[in-house]
Amino acid sequence: MMGEFVFRNLFHRPVRTLIGVLAIAVEVTLVVTIVGLTSGMLQETAKRIEGIGADVMMQSPSAQIFLAFSGSPMPIKIADKIAELKYVRAVAPALLQFNSTGGVEVVYGIDPDSFRAVSSGFVFHQGRDIQGPDDLLVDDWAAKAKHLKVGDTYNLLNHDWHVVGIVEHGKGARLFVPITTLQDLVGAHDKASIFLVKCTRPEHADDVIEEMKATFPTYPVRPLKDFMTLMTSTNIPALQTFINSMIALAVSIGLLVIFLTMYTTVLERTRDIGVLKSLGAGKLLIVRSLLTETTLLCFFGIAAGIGLSYLVRAGFLALFPTLSILITPEWLIRAACISLVGAVLGASYPAWLASRKDPVEALTYD
Amino acid sequence: MGITVKIRTHQPFDSTEPNLHTVEPILRTENLWKLYHAGKVEVPALRGVNFDVLPGESVAVMGPSGCGKSSLLYVIGGLAQASRGRVFVDGNDLSAMSDPERTKLRRHKIGFVFQRFNLLPTLTAKGNIAIAQYIHGDGFDPHRFEVVTRMLGIEERLHHRPAELSGGEQQRVAIARAIINEPKILLADEPTGNLDTKNSEIVLEMLRRLNKDLGQTIVMITHNPEATTYFDRVVHMRDGVIVDGIPAD
Repeated sequence: MMGEFVFRNLFHRPVRTLIGVLAIAVEVTLVVTIVGLTSGMLQETAKRIEGIGADVMMQSPSAQIFLAFSGSPMPIKIADKIAELKYVRAVAPALLQFNSTGGVEVVYGIDPDSFRAVSSGFVFHQGRDIQGPDDLLVDDWAAKAKHLKVGDTYNLLNHDWHVVGIVEHGKGARLFVPITTLQDLVGAHDKASIFLVKCTRPEHADDVIEEMKATFPTYPVRPLKDFMTLMTSTNIPALQTFINSMIALAVSIGLLVIFLTMYTTVLERTRDIGVLKSLGAGKLLIVRSLLTETTLLCFFGIAAGIGLSYLVRAGFLALFPTLSILITPEWLIRAACISLVGAVLGASYPAWLASRKDPVEALTYD
Repeated sequence: MGITVKIRTHQPFDSTEPNLHTVEPILRTENLWKLYHAGKVEVPALRGVNFDVLPGESVAVMGPSGCGKSSLLYVIGGLAQASRGRVFVDGNDLSAMSDPERTKLRRHKIGFVFQRFNLLPTLTAKGNIAIAQYIHGDGFDPHRFEVVTRMLGIEERLHHRPAELSGGEQQRVAIARAIINEPKILLADEPTGNLDTKNSEIVLEMLRRLNKDLGQTIVMITHNPEATTYFDRVVHMRDGVIVDGIPAD
């Protein structure tokens, strides 16, 4: 009986219910999309770095795990010292430059020969490898997103580049230029952001790491096979705070809308609450009926939010093919729980108010 | 609390012979006061009401507007707390009860019928009656439901919402809701106040049948002198006190 009562009440004011459902849907979509975008980008970046094929990576002492933010380049001559270490087959220096013009991306300045030695080379869809100082390699995803083909000129970092090759994605960056040209452009002569090391055999990676740590004690040295596990939001400065802030914002939207929805509901149903009390309904029953109604509304909102999240992802990917938005069951459940808790909290005060209404005043309410 | 009073019995139904019994009043008030606060001013609605209703009795309470009739109904129904004095319902002292205790007593012993019907607009007639059974806690009793709805002549209108029912039908649904759990006392607050003459007569006849056929104790507030003819006893109120109590016949 109470189920029917709650269900009918929910659909008594369809527009108000729809607004509540939309608020919850937006809340779920915000949480899922923001977390999905950050974790998707991190995971995709980590996959690309792992995909280079190197065994070990060394960064400068103050560098961050998220390479896009890596500053403080190191002297490129360090590569020669690393190359002298036991079990090291090849070393490739790379200068990383963050570019936010025409998209958010990291440009790798590479030495084609050493990069090829470490990564076993690119898989070319079109064109050839870097030869000249203004040559640019673009991976297939970026080429599709930027509508680039071999022979095009592309302005990047205020410099005109010639697209000479379209390569398979997954080799660290989406854009590759000669390291020397990039050094000149960013004023980092003879500098590199990272050193990628290929060992004689993969099982020698630990030995090489130990030797590198002994030789360069203040420099972080990491095995690339573990890179994926390190690329989490908690390892990126301020990212987790950003995510938490966005989640709090989303929850606030949901909570406030539900609060307003249920508050107006309680006002509108003042007389009905009086009737229920005259029939002997206790405070708990009144609170329960309103919270059940909120929960039901929330379930509709969550379902709509999940659908909307996939729709938003599809829209983003259509507009920005290089984006990666990772929607996981874990975060769908978390977003649902967050929304549910927020909605129940939002409805709690109106429900409490309803339960405390004086029955005589409620029955004479107009 | 036992008192000796003269009442008409309801068994057998066609008996007109009065019998003497010793019975406990099912409803009793002792020096009942109800004060309302308008800012810092205390406004007395009831000023020491002493009032008894016996089991199976039907009582009409009459009086001018503002004389305290509705306040009396709300206090004896446990919807409002008495400011002073005592109220006994089926032997339970309402004035000594907490709000949850009064709620429980209301659930099990009292049924209300209001002037404005007060049906829940989202539910059908059936839902409005069934929710009273749900709140009562004994679940849906199809037999009782059928008996009550047939007696009130609403069995064909059960799947309609209040907005789709006439005033008379709505009030009959409200009566069904009030009596579905077999309360000890039915309290009616001007139940014909929003009805035309024909529907008023139907509703009053329903209340009389409830009283005569089922022995339902009824206390009704009314402005309509003609309505009092359907009741065993008429009580007049003025300025928050009962001024007399005379048999209707």
